[in-house]
Amino acid sequence: MAFVADVFGQALNGLAYGVLLFLLSVGLTLIFGMLDVVNLAHGSYYMLGAYAGLTLIAVTGNFWLALLVAPVAVALIGAGIERTCLRPLYRRGPLDQVLLTFGLIYVFEDLVKWIWSGRIRSIPTPALFSGSVTIFGATIPSYRLFVIVFGLAMAVALWALIEKTRLGAIIRAGVFDSEMTAGMGINIHRVFTGVFAFGAALAGLSGVIAGPIQSAYPPMGASILVPALIVVVVGGLGSLKGSLVGSLIIGQAETFGKVWLPGASMLMIYLVMALVLLVRPQGLFGRPLK
Amino acid sequence: MRSLRAAGFAVLVAVVAAFPLVAGNYPVKLLQEILIWGIFAMSLDLLMGYAGMVSFGHSAFFGIGGYVGALALLKSPGLISALLLPAVAAAAAALLIGFFSIRVSGVYFIMLTLAFSQMFYAVAFQAAWLGAEDGIVGVPRPAALGFSLTSPGSFHLYLLVLVVCAVLLLWRIVRSPFGHVLRGIHDNEGRMQAVGYPVNRYKLLAFVIGGTVAGVAGSLYAQLVGSISPDAFLWTTSGEVLLMVIIGGTGTLGGSMLGAAAFILLQSMVSSYTERWMLILGLTFVLLVLFAPGGILGALRGRVGIRS
Amino acid sequence: MKEVTRRKFLATASVAAAGAAAGPWVLRAQAQSEAAPVKIGVVVPYTGVYAELGVSITQGMRVVFARENDRVAGRKILMIQEDDEMKPPVGIRKTEKLIDSDKVDILTGPVHSGILMGMRDKVHNSKTILIVSNAGADAISRERCSKWIFRASFSNWQPNQPMGGWVAKNISKEVFLIAPNYQAGKDMMEAFKETFVKAGGKVVAEDYPKLGETDYAPYLTKIKQSGVKAVYCFFSGTDAVNFVKQFDQFGLKKTIKLTGAGFLTEPDALPAQGQSALGIITGHFYSPLLENPTNKKFVKDFRGLYGGKVPDGFACQGYDTAEVIVRALRAVNGNTQDKDKLVDAIAKVEFESPRGHFRFDPKTHNVIQPFIYIREVKETALGLNNVPIDKVADVRDPGTGCTLPA
Repeated sequence: MAFVADVFGQALNGLAYGVLLFLLSVGLTLIFGMLDVVNLAHGSYYMLGAYAGLTLIAVTGNFWLALLVAPVAVALIGAGIERTCLRPLYRRGPLDQVLLTFGLIYVFEDLVKWIWSGRIRSIPTPALFSGSVTIFGATIPSYRLFVIVFGLAMAVALWALIEKTRLGAIIRAGVFDSEMTAGMGINIHRVFTGVFAFGAALAGLSGVIAGPIQSAYPPMGASILVPALIVVVVGGLGSLKGSLVGSLIIGQAETFGKVWLPGASMLMIYLVMALVLLVRPQGLFGRPLK
Repeated sequence: MRSLRAAGFAVLVAVVAAFPLVAGNYPVKLLQEILIWGIFAMSLDLLMGYAGMVSFGHSAFFGIGGYVGALALLKSPGLISALLLPAVAAAAAALLIGFFSIRVSGVYFIMLTLAFSQMFYAVAFQAAWLGAEDGIVGVPRPAALGFSLTSPGSFHLYLLVLVVCAVLLLWRIVRSPFGHVLRGIHDNEGRMQAVGYPVNRYKLLAFVIGGTVAGVAGSLYAQLVGSISPDAFLWTTSGEVLLMVIIGGTGTLGGSMLGAAAFILLQSMVSSYTERWMLILGLTFVLLVLFAPGGILGALRGRVGIRS
Repeated sequence: MKEVTRRKFLATASVAAAGAAAGPWVLRAQAQSEAAPVKIGVVVPYTGVYAELGVSITQGMRVVFARENDRVAGRKILMIQEDDEMKPPVGIRKTEKLIDSDKVDILTGPVHSGILMGMRDKVHNSKTILIVSNAGADAISRERCSKWIFRASFSNWQPNQPMGGWVAKNISKEVFLIAPNYQAGKDMMEAFKETFVKAGGKVVAEDYPKLGETDYAPYLTKIKQSGVKAVYCFFSGTDAVNFVKQFDQFGLKKTIKLTGAGFLTEPDALPAQGQSALGIITGHFYSPLLENPTNKKFVKDFRGLYGGKVPDGFACQGYDTAEVIVRALRAVNGNTQDKDKLVDAIAKVEFESPRGHFRFDPKTHNVIQPFIYIREVKETALGLNNVPIDKVADVRDPGTGCTLPA
């Protein structure tokens, strides 16, 4: 019985971690899928969100306000970058986007270090969720329970937005075939900027949410990029469902990897990716490749 | 025109060979690092500029060459350890990774190659027998044909000889019929396939050649610095060598050497003067992309280099 | 008359000529010893996650040099700082620049043990004097020791070995060990086990998460499920902050005592850990709350120079490094040409440091820790800090395999 409780406890950990990964990667998959843009600086928006949240909490003392406002700030930055730096590059293909966004990683990391110092900063847990609860013999911080509920709610909300609204239809059309969508008279430039800003906002949001668990430090942007990219690849470019399923699977794989195969825990995420891609190279729910 | 270029190349080689006679240890070390990263970048340019495969995992071969070379040299410091074993190991890895990666293209190819190199990073980072986080230190320089290459002068010449061989090899490949087919594939894969070329086999071969040269570069790096760490596998290493190719001008081969020089000099000099070097480096790349799309060589020649 | 005069003239003339010829040399020698500065190389991270440590160490060094008005034995002290970014290739490149290009008289640093191991041969073969101001790799005081390398900071063994016996006696005879999966982490746990097991302790389980892990949830759940009453760990920097915070978030603080190597709660991590760090017990050779007069002055001077910032162990390491340099140079009258003499002078240096009585172990060139203090995190007048509650005296690294001069 104790074993079941143990496994359940670790499964909860895996769920919380998976949900965090989902929030982080869903913005990236939308940007990738719709704009076909290699945005290596996606992790930087995650970092900016965390730091914006840090400052907002320091100034207002209110975590929930920060959760609302920080993503907006990051969205504005994202929109600005898209308009000035990325739009000229759409015609030029992945190479220049790689170089530019790689340069942006350096720029953002150093700016953050300049403004907030390189010291690791702690983001306080909201008072409402600062304890821990025990469910079926497994102890989990109540904040992580909140993350699970919040993340799953976000997944539902995003699904509704994309599947059930006109805006969502436009985004889906753009992901599927941007030329056609533009041909139908929709201002594709504004949609692109919007989607990019939205993706950045989601990354920023996940930065605030992850903050009380993982704190804020300048290299955090670069270090979160690879896990996010892998989730996107596993789930399938541009697929919301894929992002969710992929991140949940990887969350469990990594967690149980740490528990049962400690020497190989770093490898788990790559093994999952390799397995999925061997069977379905386009990812779990991605568009079939030509 | 050709003899002029050949003469120019010979002069350049002579200057590089004589450099230790006029410069101190530190500038010579920088030059040697530039040479090694230069052929590393050139091997990537073969893939990117000529075959059109943008790989974000080229560090995998650099790292494999570095680790295999380091481990082998610690056992027996000869040329086989220093050059042959790393090349074979890197070629094998390139065959394996290439086989899986070439099935996809574009963004997926970038992602897959990145993930493969990160896999190697994860293994190197956690494996105690590979030195884990600290890597392998105390790597000796090889002894070749009875001569020990530990003296700075002999090592410099040994390095130069190998770099020149690599450059000439890549240069010949690019100009050969094989190279022309690669360029054809890069321009229009469908057409090449329709004409009857086994496109994937050509791409795989290019991938393996590129990986092998990168592996030799990695081993030379371990010999130069005397150590190798998991950072050699990091995706940011792949990113940096990618930058070198793009800065110099993709599809120009020689540009990659220039790009390596520009990157390394910029990084060393700026970081000695200011703490804000990351900001400066990053801004430089951003501005470079926006305003000098052909890279250095492209700007010099006044035209845009071959890119995807 | 004429002959005497001529001889006298010749004598005078030759003396004058000799004086004229020698004059510029004498003047130049004097000018050299007055104008040529002593070059102290500093290779530590100023960017990256561990930049705080590099900055702290440098600040500690400056306290000493400022007190001496940046001069020793008639020569100016020139610090040449290079950022190694905590990356071995960069660190080795910068080391070579300092040794070959800048021709430093004494090299100090690094923070990262990997960089130290990578530069060891270059330093040894070029006969450059290195005073290690942080990196704790045990090997440098053991099989890789060198006549030219001194360590003014600590070896990874030193803060951990005394803790084993102390924890077994005062906290619990059963522990869960956890440290990042790299050489330093493993070495520290081994050192702890030496005295812990001997005192009758039992290691219930060990875990080594990857360095730079951000989510310790699976490990914390394992710790809870193991039923131990005490944890001994080593984490530093970002890892320390995340581990301590998550330990608290999981509610483990209520039933399990957290202990560890001192770096767990040093001031680079403490402010971010906040209340989660209260009650944590660690072993370290320093605490800003030490009562000895040298430390009181050090804290006062440091805070005065750096806007109220409280010094930490890293700053103390920097202070001691600089103090060693100053005293040794004074002992040889500023002569940096005779390296053997300088090495001897450094080996013989003894003084009152903020950590206690400082001296090198002639067997290993490693500092003999006057005390390893067992400290508890409490609220103090200086804010949250490490309060010494016990101590173990005279901790020297065993130095197995070290033969000096090497």
